[in-house]
Amino acid sequence: MEHDFRSTHWSAVFTAGQGVSSEARQALASLCEIYWYPLYAYAVRRVATVDEAQDLTQAFFTELLEKNFVGSADPERGRFRAFLLTAFKHFMAKQWQKEKALKRGGGRQPISLHFPSADSTWQIDPSDGLTAEQAYDQQWVIALLGQTLDRLQRESEHAGRGEQFAALKGFIIGNHGETTYAQIAEDLNMSAAAVKKSASRMRARYRQLLREEIAQTVSGTDEIEDEIRSLFRTLEG
Amino acid sequence: MSQTTQCPTCGAILPPNAPAGLCPKCLMQVGLESQDQAVPSPDAVAPTMDQTHSKSLPNITTLSSEFPDLEINELIGQGGMGAVYSARQIKLDRQVALKIIRPESADNPSFAERFNREARTLARLSHPNIVSVYDFGEVALKSENSGQSRTLYYFLMEYIDGANLRQILQAGELQSDRALTIVPQICDALQYAHDEGVVHRDIKPENILVDRRGRVKIADFGLAKLTSDEDTDHSLTGTNQVMGTPRYMAPEQMESTSNVDHRADIYSLGVVFYEMLTGELPFGRFDPPSMRAAVDQQWDEVVLRTLEKEPQRRYQQASEVKSDVERMSESKSEPAHVSTESGDGTNKTPHIGFCIFGGVMSLIGLPMFALALFTSVNIVFFWLGMGLAIAGPACCLIAMAESSRLPAGTRPHMGVLALALTASLVGFGIVPSRFLLGSGLDYFNPQNAFVWIAIGLALGGGFFCWIAWEAQRPKES
Repeated sequence: MEHDFRSTHWSAVFTAGQGVSSEARQALASLCEIYWYPLYAYAVRRVATVDEAQDLTQAFFTELLEKNFVGSADPERGRFRAFLLTAFKHFMAKQWQKEKALKRGGGRQPISLHFPSADSTWQIDPSDGLTAEQAYDQQWVIALLGQTLDRLQRESEHAGRGEQFAALKGFIIGNHGETTYAQIAEDLNMSAAAVKKSASRMRARYRQLLREEIAQTVSGTDEIEDEIRSLFRTLEG
Repeated sequence: MSQTTQCPTCGAILPPNAPAGLCPKCLMQVGLESQDQAVPSPDAVAPTMDQTHSKSLPNITTLSSEFPDLEINELIGQGGMGAVYSARQIKLDRQVALKIIRPESADNPSFAERFNREARTLARLSHPNIVSVYDFGEVALKSENSGQSRTLYYFLMEYIDGANLRQILQAGELQSDRALTIVPQICDALQYAHDEGVVHRDIKPENILVDRRGRVKIADFGLAKLTSDEDTDHSLTGTNQVMGTPRYMAPEQMESTSNVDHRADIYSLGVVFYEMLTGELPFGRFDPPSMRAAVDQQWDEVVLRTLEKEPQRRYQQASEVKSDVERMSESKSEPAHVSTESGDGTNKTPHIGFCIFGGVMSLIGLPMFALALFTSVNIVFFWLGMGLAIAGPACCLIAMAESSRLPAGTRPHMGVLALALTASLVGFGIVPSRFLLGSGLDYFNPQNAFVWIAIGLALGGGFFCWIAWEAQRPKES
């Protein structure tokens, strides 16, 4: 019986009480490794300096992974994407309270979170026209797709089809410029029909992997389609 | 590929870190399209199963067949990247640790070459504070399910009978003087490796082992580099800037993996040092260690210098950290004022000024109390009120002052504040009432004013003493 590293759902870390399995922790830690960057992108837009954003992000993951800090974010309901952001917002609020208390006592500058407007939805970063929440979602999608394509590439290389992946990845989205199947067939020394078949197989596999990755972040398989649609919408804004 | 290209398919502007250089929007679109086709089997999408992720561990029997020279005993640790087994090397009859790694990039053809190159470097590291590498290599294991074989890489290493620093920290068994014996050993190991051109890149308590004799052994040197896709196409995902959870990572390491040198290890060492002294991690505008724990102020400088955000402002060599730590350890002052009697680790040096003040009040108050039993004075309210009016604001001041002097996060003594405020309000009410109302309140006159004055002073004096004493205790925030 092989033991799988990701055999347990991440939320078990917060719901299982005392007997938290190391697998659940591992599942949560794996997800954090994939999705920490979106939070950082969010943090960068909420605080004055990159330093502070780094500190906040690091401190948050420490609290999350070591002290199971989630604020009042509910790990049982909803998706990892929303859960992580909510927990992070609670964490920022907590930090801000702490800094405020410090300022009273120690005469230090509080960390310059843009907190007076607790909801930053309407603060748009002029450089890319995105709110912090939008940036979070956008980077989330990028992290998710990056992870999916990484796996697809590893699989291809493992099966000795690394070259095919490199040549055909653009075909996943129909973005291949002037290149045709025939040209790639020539480069890879295959028949055009085989290349075409390979491209369509790769595309199907990509979809499957995407669903598997999303499955790690939602609470049920029925939510996968909905999450895809919701992620797609975040890119349309 | 340019950083601000448009997607040729949908025309959207590509974000700088577009995965594999492909348009995220189009990629999601493809995901959407599939709704009515290619419905994946429930197994494939259930979060519980992930066969293709190839992260599953081989069982011991399968593994044993690949290592005929070893008697593999048990799994002693595992992480996202692999697992460690304890084993016995039969011929040499010695305990060894077998580390199996299965990094993300293991299927990449260039990985084998890189692995061999790095592993040779690691095997050359020979230092009493570094876990020795005896052997390394790769094995092809057949997966039981798919029949496909996959390559696992392994290190055969020195077996350390002890615990890692994380376990020691969690058990709360680390005295700060012991922390000071650990740090120089880490420095030795780092300095040696840095001289050999090896940067650890992942110094954290989990990688710092301490054997039963208290000797420090650092594990997993250079492994982080090996697994961070250094040589592979980084633009592929754009999300791979950093591996691992960024808790002990130097700021420059968070930004990118490319311009990281040995000074990143020094930063990580600083984080570990800080954690050993205070039990917390230094994030944000963190306090120097002496404000968070019973640690001598002289340590602040060392710790803070390892934690400088700019690499050039840090210690430049691990050996410099070591010599500073040792110099300070020798200059008699232990990092912690180890409590002489109670042993609970709190700082028991009371504030001398407060104590004298409080003591004098008590010394005056108590004889007065005795005297009062034999004398009769009739201006109770005046004295009582005056005493309260003075003692009250004084208490307030002290209580407020403490909060700025005590470790961050400590609130003012709320109890003292409330009591003192009430006392002063009452006091300020009573003193004028004596004059405004004449003898209006004199019917409440007990026989002897000295009793009241003395009790007030005695209590107040004791109270001040208590405040002075209490204020010096480091707070667990």
